[in-house]
Amino acid sequence: MTKKRLYLELENCIGCRSCLAACTQCGGHEERNRNYVYDVNPLVNRQTMPLMCLHCVNPACARSCPAQAIQIHETGAVLSALVEKCIGCQNCTIACPYGIPKFDTEQNLMYKCDLCIDRTKDGIPPMCASVCPSNTLQWLTDEEIENKKQQFNLDNGKWVTSLPYLEGETNVKVNLPGILQGVTKLF
Amino acid sequence: MQRDKFFKEIENVRHPNETLVKTHCSYCGMQCGMNLRVNTLTNKIIGVEPRYDWPVTVGKMCPKGVTAYQQTNHDDRILKPLIRDDASLKGTKEGFREASWEEAYDLIAKKFTEMQKQYGNDTLSVFSGVSMTNEKCYLTGKFARVALGTRYIDYNGRFCMSSAAGGFLRSFGVDRGSTLPWTDIHETDCLFIAGSNTAECHPTSMFRVWNVQERGGYIIVADPRETPIARRADVHLDLKPGTDLALANGILNLLIQNGYADEEFVNQHTNGFEETKELVKEFTPEYTSELTGVAPEKIIKAAEIYGKAPNAVVMFARGIEQQHKGVDNVSGYTNMALVTGKIGRPKSGVATFTGQGNGQGGREHGQKSDLLPGYRKITNPEHVKEVCQVWGITPDEMPEPGVSAYEMFELMEEKTIRGLYLLCSNPAVSAPNLNFVRKALKGLDFMVCADFYLSESAEFADVVLPTVTWSEDEGTVTNLEGRIIKINKAQEPLGESKPDWQIQAELAERLGKGKYFSHLKTAKDVADEFRLASKGGYADYYGATWDKIDKQDGVFWPCKDENDQGTPHMFLDKKFYHPDGKAKICALPYRPPAEEPDEKFPLRLTTGRVVYHYLSGNQTRRIPFLRDMCPEPFVEVHPETAAKYKMEHEERVRLFTRRGEAIYKVKITEAIRKDTVFVPYHFGHEQSINLLTIAALDPISRMPEFKACAAQLEKVENAEMKKVQ
Repeated sequence: MTKKRLYLELENCIGCRSCLAACTQCGGHEERNRNYVYDVNPLVNRQTMPLMCLHCVNPACARSCPAQAIQIHETGAVLSALVEKCIGCQNCTIACPYGIPKFDTEQNLMYKCDLCIDRTKDGIPPMCASVCPSNTLQWLTDEEIENKKQQFNLDNGKWVTSLPYLEGETNVKVNLPGILQGVTKLF
Repeated sequence: MQRDKFFKEIENVRHPNETLVKTHCSYCGMQCGMNLRVNTLTNKIIGVEPRYDWPVTVGKMCPKGVTAYQQTNHDDRILKPLIRDDASLKGTKEGFREASWEEAYDLIAKKFTEMQKQYGNDTLSVFSGVSMTNEKCYLTGKFARVALGTRYIDYNGRFCMSSAAGGFLRSFGVDRGSTLPWTDIHETDCLFIAGSNTAECHPTSMFRVWNVQERGGYIIVADPRETPIARRADVHLDLKPGTDLALANGILNLLIQNGYADEEFVNQHTNGFEETKELVKEFTPEYTSELTGVAPEKIIKAAEIYGKAPNAVVMFARGIEQQHKGVDNVSGYTNMALVTGKIGRPKSGVATFTGQGNGQGGREHGQKSDLLPGYRKITNPEHVKEVCQVWGITPDEMPEPGVSAYEMFELMEEKTIRGLYLLCSNPAVSAPNLNFVRKALKGLDFMVCADFYLSESAEFADVVLPTVTWSEDEGTVTNLEGRIIKINKAQEPLGESKPDWQIQAELAERLGKGKYFSHLKTAKDVADEFRLASKGGYADYYGATWDKIDKQDGVFWPCKDENDQGTPHMFLDKKFYHPDGKAKICALPYRPPAEEPDEKFPLRLTTGRVVYHYLSGNQTRRIPFLRDMCPEPFVEVHPETAAKYKMEHEERVRLFTRRGEAIYKVKITEAIRKDTVFVPYHFGHEQSINLLTIAALDPISRMPEFKACAAQLEKVENAEMKKVQ
């Protein structure tokens, strides 16, 4: 089984929030969605972007957990807090640079994206990437992601990213806005 | 079987004690493939799983699709027939009591018979819809004409697809919503999309649409609003609502003047070129700009891109069709493809984004006031004879053509129509000029409504019959490509609900017309009769058996016999369906919207959808996720306009026209023209925007002008002050 990753092409987002609806449908998610879609500038235009857990290689949420409730799966997925271990301290919600972990005050329990581990452990795409109508969220091999990178040459002299990744290395790959800048028009 | 680069072999997740039922979504014309998860212990639908193997949508779903399954076992389902004895409570939810099917049928039969005896057969009417299977749509036409014997049947496609139908019939001589399969869309070089908020109304087209740009192709969007698709378009033609025909003529003029006309194609395969060329000469970029409000440079750029593109698809939707010149708009934009010869080959053509799930099939088989199955005309004696043979009646028993959907309400108002059988539609929200329509419904002597939820329209009924949702019955649907697909049954009907075809067959029995219906015991029985009834019509479904649909991932009509695999691409032989085999390039004089802004009503009001809701919202407003995302309507106002009116973001304001008024929250956005305001139409009661819309009808399609009328805004405190004074 070739390893696949969640890959985000932010410019494709149409703000439909299908990813959030689908998140509730994954077997292990107790019908609660675990990600976000933001209106970037709602008074101006319709730009939106998803904010998904990026599944950091060295995740701040897990490092900050005093109870070791956040486990990392062999696929690299950073799992939701183990119910029996989570002490509800909310360190993880503060530590995460992206604000991903959510907190259930009634259950005194953190919950977050587990990359639909029930699905992705068998190579089946997570619910969000399965349904995403705009291909903002895709489930790709490293080779496919590399091809994409070459196709969208972000460094076109006007626009460069400062780092290959945002805050430490992540298992989920993000193609920053500007995917159409390197495209050669057909005519 | 078309399998393209988006198709991947993916196994579905299977949970213990669960089975997956392959089917399609209940909502729009995309008819996205989905698997319903059914618990094998309770035999109830419990969730959804993507259908990766469906070639059109490869597992993708919008938020409506993901949550569609929640309709079936919803607390709001009507489980038993409801009767209301106190007619003074009409127009409210009050006064209904549960009854048996026997009692409901007895009451309906008694009332219908008495009324027809007193006022004639045509005192009854049927108002139907196309969010249901071909089998149900077909039988509804037969039910009206054979069981009730009335001429008055029409359907909600008059508020949806009828202009596309009228335009295609005039241009091509045939009305199939897309001349090419959706699997071609991403391979074209230019998409010209007019009046379609694709990202919100047909979201699962978007991965193909974006891919055109990813390959270096172009997207041109004509829309008064900067919708998510317009935001990323190569050219956004930000026209005034209701001025599409001027834009179409302007672009056509540039295509001709700049040498993009395909003379050989035009000479051999079309009529009307010279006349049209003369007419559009007047539409210079400057004059077009004056009429539409779009900058001349943008019009020039759009024409150049479309003209140069080796392959291009012209696409449109309700934005251009819901106008009192909707048919002309459709033919006007279709002209672009005919003049440049970009049609009748793969990756090029014309398509409309069909609104309702079965907007295509539902209009072909006899729910329209003047049509019979197979797209036959009720005014053509040969056609009538053919259908009579299948139905077992004589031609003189076939009623005359009736009137269009909105005109039926006019006949109710003047008491020509006194009874109504309503199904699969919610006109108390979706019809224009609602104050008038609601009054007409309230004034009926007797009204039956068949639905699975108590809709705003059901509130006017004397009897409500509980129907099933799409997941509790089976049958075929024709998607926006013209592909006939199969809807499958995932659970037994909830409570005492029944499919519409069964209700109609049983009611026909009560009305003494059992011999025409009693052989229809299953959906498959209806399907077999329906295929036969369509045979020989140009929308011929005879060869589209359920087996073939399953084996081929759907069948594109026409499909005439067992060996016919169907017709994914139309006009590959360059033969159009007019008697001389040619298409018609139409010379279309421009007309402004029926109601132009003036001093008293200086704004242009346009209406549309949001991604979270479907049509009148009767289904989607009950789904928690969708309701939470968009719980109430709003009015979109440009910040400069809002400043002029001294209105703040999220302030409640009064919006009014000559016909009605409503209070909405202001949503300030630069993504709309300064002279235009927008309100979504999915909401009922006092917040229905259709209280304000105008019933100016297209002369051919009888489509009301939902997309443009003159309006005014007012701060609520000012409005209240006036009342006090």
